[in-house]
Amino acid sequence: MNEKSAIIKLRDFMDSQEGWGRDQGRKVYQQLIDFVESNPGTMTFKVSLDQVRRVDISFASETIVELARRYRGKKGFCFTDLADQDMLENWDAAAERKGQPIMVWEGKNGQVIGITPSQGTLGAFNFALKRERTRASEFAASMPDISIANASTKFKQLWEQGFLLRREDVAESGGVEFTYHRIG
Amino acid sequence: MICQIVFPSAWIDASALESTLRSSCAPHGPGVYEVLFRFPTGCRIMVDSAVRLLSLINQLSLSMRRVRLEFEEGEAGTMGYLDRMGFFDHLAKDVDVLPARPSLSAAEIYGGTNTRLVEIASINPKDRDVDLPSRLTDAMMDSCGNRPDAKGLEGAAWTIFAELIDNIFSHSSTQIDGYAALQVYPRGDRVKVAVSDSGLGIMSTLRPAIKTEFPSLENLSDIDLLVEIFRQGISRHGTDRGCGLKGSAAKAIKYNGELDVRLPNIRVLLTPGKEGYKPNTAYCYDGLPLIWGTHICFTFRLDTNR
Repeated sequence: MNEKSAIIKLRDFMDSQEGWGRDQGRKVYQQLIDFVESNPGTMTFKVSLDQVRRVDISFASETIVELARRYRGKKGFCFTDLADQDMLENWDAAAERKGQPIMVWEGKNGQVIGITPSQGTLGAFNFALKRERTRASEFAASMPDISIANASTKFKQLWEQGFLLRREDVAESGGVEFTYHRIG
Repeated sequence: MICQIVFPSAWIDASALESTLRSSCAPHGPGVYEVLFRFPTGCRIMVDSAVRLLSLINQLSLSMRRVRLEFEEGEAGTMGYLDRMGFFDHLAKDVDVLPARPSLSAAEIYGGTNTRLVEIASINPKDRDVDLPSRLTDAMMDSCGNRPDAKGLEGAAWTIFAELIDNIFSHSSTQIDGYAALQVYPRGDRVKVAVSDSGLGIMSTLRPAIKTEFPSLENLSDIDLLVEIFRQGISRHGTDRGCGLKGSAAKAIKYNGELDVRLPNIRVLLTPGKEGYKPNTAYCYDGLPLIWGTHICFTFRLDTNR
């Protein structure tokens, strides 16, 4: 299945290039919710920070971080055009506080901010990151010491924690098999 | 009872303000119906004291006390500086000023023309000054531009100012505005940014939530709890909030900023160490004369090469 993605130009939701404070963040958040809800078939939203000069931690916490937490497991949000180190720190601090991982993409290179996968799931996460979508069985096949059941558990944890998205597919056997998607 | 607060003929930073208040009677005391502030020749009020004094004086006026300010040197002295900072524009109208209130506000005439200061700005959630964090940052960077870490400092400073001002919005349920101002002291190699409000104070809003949200911190003293607000990020709204002040403090540490926090009866001076702010390296003052609200000052060096 070819999942749809959409771009959120955060600047278009803001009054100026600078976003600060919880009140301003909450106003932007409401507009973001409306946008997301008006795109029901879209699984991944790429949040472009082009033309956004600065955001403080409170604004970051009330906008994209809260959005990612609200839709965790159902829809994914990732950043693009995030070159400013200070702004990256602020998104990271806000996401960490809410225990929400968020991917940051620079071309084909992705890094996760907020929280990182545990040691036990890190291998599965890195495996998934190299592919648009994957299955637990594929990861298990690449790792001789990991069973399919064990791989399934790892991917499920990553999905529940917000690192990956997943969709239900029909397996060749006729049963249900989940496809896991990286965010972005 | 008339409470007299007489400043010494010296530079008055926040520490000197506290010493002066401690050696006077408590201006918010129950028997006090009049408060006199005397500024003798040679008294030089610094920006951190100026915004705290402004908050205190407006609090006293709001609580129906008669307040008089006596400036011995008149406009030639510290009164002239306070006028330039816009102090009298924000001062309650019923406060008596001797020899006389400035007829024209120097802040209105010259406002925005000196890159080494940002005049006192009022902070009111109903009238959001969206450019204030940028104005403070630009003024700071105008003087800190030679620091080797200037580029990173600029973003950090903006975040700190935005978070501090937003924090006032969160805590101010008051009839008195909050205030912010900045002053560069080239000879002292320092820039001070002071933010002050007369709201409920972090502790008053946080204490009731501590029992349910952070039970392990319940037995901490106010001073230790205050340090933890900046170290751990504690909020009355629960564990997923409180990142603003913590993040601000982390950025201040990164750029070797000193942090001075004054609450109604306590004050903590935090100087950064390698591992951030620690309770055992903080200078703590308990049992201070009452000033409502939260008063924060960050101090950064202008040139770390010196």
